[in-house]
Amino acid sequence: MAKKRKAAAWLGIAGLSLSLIAGCAGNSQPASQQGTSPNSTTSAKTMMLGMVNPPVLFNPINSPDVASSFVEGFFFDSLLDMTAPLQFSPELAESFDSKDNQHFTIKLNSKAKWTDGKPITAKDVVFTMNLVANPKVETSVGAYIAPLAGLNDKGKLPDGQTSLDSVKQIDDYTVELTTKQPVDPNMIKEQLGSKLMIMPEHVLKDIPPDKLSQHPFSQKPNVTSGAFQFVQYVKDQYVEVKANPGYYKGAPKLGKVFIKLMPAPNLVAQLQTAEIHLNVGMGIGKIATQDYETVEKMNNVRYKVEPNIGFQTMEINNKTLPDPKVRQAIQYALDRQLIVKQLLKGQGEVIDGPYTSVSPYLNKNVKVTPHDTDKAKQLLKEAGWDFNRTISLVVPTGNLVREQSANIIQQNLEAAGLKVKVTKYDFPTIMQKGRAGDFDLLLIGFTFTLDPDVSSLYGTGGAFNFMKYSNPDMDQLLAQGKAEADLKKRHEIYDQVQALIQKDVPVITLYSDYDMAVVSKKVAVGESKYFGMLYNLNQWDLTGAE
Amino acid sequence: MLQYIARRIVIAVPVLFGVTIFNFVIMHLAPGNPVDMFVNPFATEADIAIKKAQLGLNDPIWVQYIHWLQNLLQGNLGYSFSTYEPVTQMISVRFGPTFLLMGSSLLIAYLLAIPIGIISATRQYSTIDYTATTFSFLGVSIPHFFMGLGAIYLFAVVWPVFPTGGMNQLGGDGGLSDTLRHLILPALVLGTGVAGNMVRYVRSSMLEVLGQDYLRTARAKGLREFIVTNKHALRNAMIPIITIIGLDIPLLVGGAVVTEQIFQWPGLGQLTIQSINSRDYPTLMAINFIAAAVVLLSNLLTDIMYSVVDPRIKYNK
Repeated sequence: MAKKRKAAAWLGIAGLSLSLIAGCAGNSQPASQQGTSPNSTTSAKTMMLGMVNPPVLFNPINSPDVASSFVEGFFFDSLLDMTAPLQFSPELAESFDSKDNQHFTIKLNSKAKWTDGKPITAKDVVFTMNLVANPKVETSVGAYIAPLAGLNDKGKLPDGQTSLDSVKQIDDYTVELTTKQPVDPNMIKEQLGSKLMIMPEHVLKDIPPDKLSQHPFSQKPNVTSGAFQFVQYVKDQYVEVKANPGYYKGAPKLGKVFIKLMPAPNLVAQLQTAEIHLNVGMGIGKIATQDYETVEKMNNVRYKVEPNIGFQTMEINNKTLPDPKVRQAIQYALDRQLIVKQLLKGQGEVIDGPYTSVSPYLNKNVKVTPHDTDKAKQLLKEAGWDFNRTISLVVPTGNLVREQSANIIQQNLEAAGLKVKVTKYDFPTIMQKGRAGDFDLLLIGFTFTLDPDVSSLYGTGGAFNFMKYSNPDMDQLLAQGKAEADLKKRHEIYDQVQALIQKDVPVITLYSDYDMAVVSKKVAVGESKYFGMLYNLNQWDLTGAE
Repeated sequence: MLQYIARRIVIAVPVLFGVTIFNFVIMHLAPGNPVDMFVNPFATEADIAIKKAQLGLNDPIWVQYIHWLQNLLQGNLGYSFSTYEPVTQMISVRFGPTFLLMGSSLLIAYLLAIPIGIISATRQYSTIDYTATTFSFLGVSIPHFFMGLGAIYLFAVVWPVFPTGGMNQLGGDGGLSDTLRHLILPALVLGTGVAGNMVRYVRSSMLEVLGQDYLRTARAKGLREFIVTNKHALRNAMIPIITIIGLDIPLLVGGAVVTEQIFQWPGLGQLTIQSINSRDYPTLMAINFIAAAVVLLSNLLTDIMYSVVDPRIKYNK
């Protein structure tokens, strides 16, 4: 008898779950229409963004990845924003000028307030820059302040000094910066203006500098300056931010924004089901090329494909392949157009060097090295290449297009008579192999600044110069380029850099892949774009009244 | 019995200790280190050196281990190298979702597998048997990620009954029915996979028992067939099944890495992968430590369950 009763209970549960399924079927409307109830101060409109890479932490001076910096942009403002290549628009700074390209005067917007009501002043700017310079503070943006005067050879505050003389508070809303020498103002505006986010001095000043990274402010910043305020980060799921009604550029029209995290294939699915309104491009919310066709057929979205400044390279070990002729041969052997055509469906570009079509420094007169297998063979013969030697191609996992490009590269090189062994590793292993020079060819991608300095890749001893390339001419050009304040002369110097890259081929730029930005037609204002995406954040809006 | 349990626990301590040393060494042998993941091009060499020093990575490996052990004995699992959160907090946030997902999928698996296995054993070579073995074979051999993506496509895109992923509706109330709705697809995908395996164990274990003499005796006594199979036979067939269940329990904390990723389920599996990719030593050590403890505990539970199911197995002394 007892058994029968149990069986009946089970049937009951089965029935319950069936009714549950039925109940859900009618309830599949998009999340945006189920926003929280409206209240008097903020809008009930909620926008959903889709992103692939999970952010790590929200300490603007210590976040190591693009995803964290992107999310920080919602609640921390910088002094300026770059809204188009080398075009700067005011954020916290009303003006950012210099008469001699060595002394820069920053006037702050006196209306700007922290979310706790305290004004944002020169003190905060001075504090933030000194924080980055402090040798006890963990930071990942040390390079931003490098042009400033008064730093030691490591780019930090000299021993015993607590603040930089080159960052001076003139009055409550004015700061003066002094650089080591006259520099291209765009470089300062990009790094210290548009990239460095300002942190609240009155909240952080009493935290010991070596404990700052572990302080809860690094995960849950509670006093911020941006159009939105941090609410919560549910790990691997979403970041939730809500409107900052006291925002100095005007209260946001949206009440909330969720940045949802998901694997790349789900982006398109969720755009289709209207679970998200737009994908974050910029390499951190990238729609896979094979999904482009699906998007083109969708009728509830707008989309566009946009170039950016990131690029993929194949580093060539200059110690194991020291002959420039061999390296040129490798470049001739590669059919990079095929990679763009097949793997990127044409949504990318082939360049020789670190400047994509977005960069004002790309020398358009330089002819991209063509695919020419015969020329490659000839160069290899001239160099006396040992055709029995096998070279290693080391490929990081994680970027599918890059992994697939390794197959094309291998075939290309074999067609030219080279023997190639491909091995794949996870990223930390690649970094170690790179640093140790344990490779012949290595695939790795970069996104630098619009400023054309590329010392970290092409300069002797540069942090990403795994190929151990060292040419005194190149080093000299790079040093001149960094120190040159005159725009025209700078262009000339970097034209020479590009010519030298083509001659020496220390590293081959494979391609720069475009990003597809998809936006739901429900969005009135707000889109994913490479420059100034978050500049008009307070204007972002959905269509229709809700 | 209590003495036996106490003794097992005492033995477990050095085992656990050994596991942590082993993990620590293996982890440090893996190429790359946490600072290598510091690939932001705006970090200077000085920034990297500062970070290395503050994380204690300049100390010899045995000093690092002793630091870790000292902290552990004080109940402190340290700070994550990548997010700087306390590791305890990172794990506790993810423990619930993993337990819920794995618990419900194991439950689904057993509820499906045990009856199907019994039926297919008692009607060997019948249509039901062939159908059951074919489906269990499919369940075992179709990879979870494929089933997961297929399920998302069918039940979330083509026929939008369930959400594509996550654990709660954003901006929703986060209530029980909402979580259930998100739970069903991943739990079914995982559950059917585990069930496929389980059906085969139950079936073969039942078949072995069904041919035995004592069952003929039971039938001769005039017992109903239902009682014969489900009481007399099943109980003896349970021993190998319990072993399998015991092996499944650690999954409850280990999580299902791939499935969690596909369904964006915020569990320990995802955390593990992220920690491996960023060489986040403190988080990895903590996850390994907890997993090892659960494995030891579930082994003990399995042994105790043996004696419950089969009174002939006794642990005295």
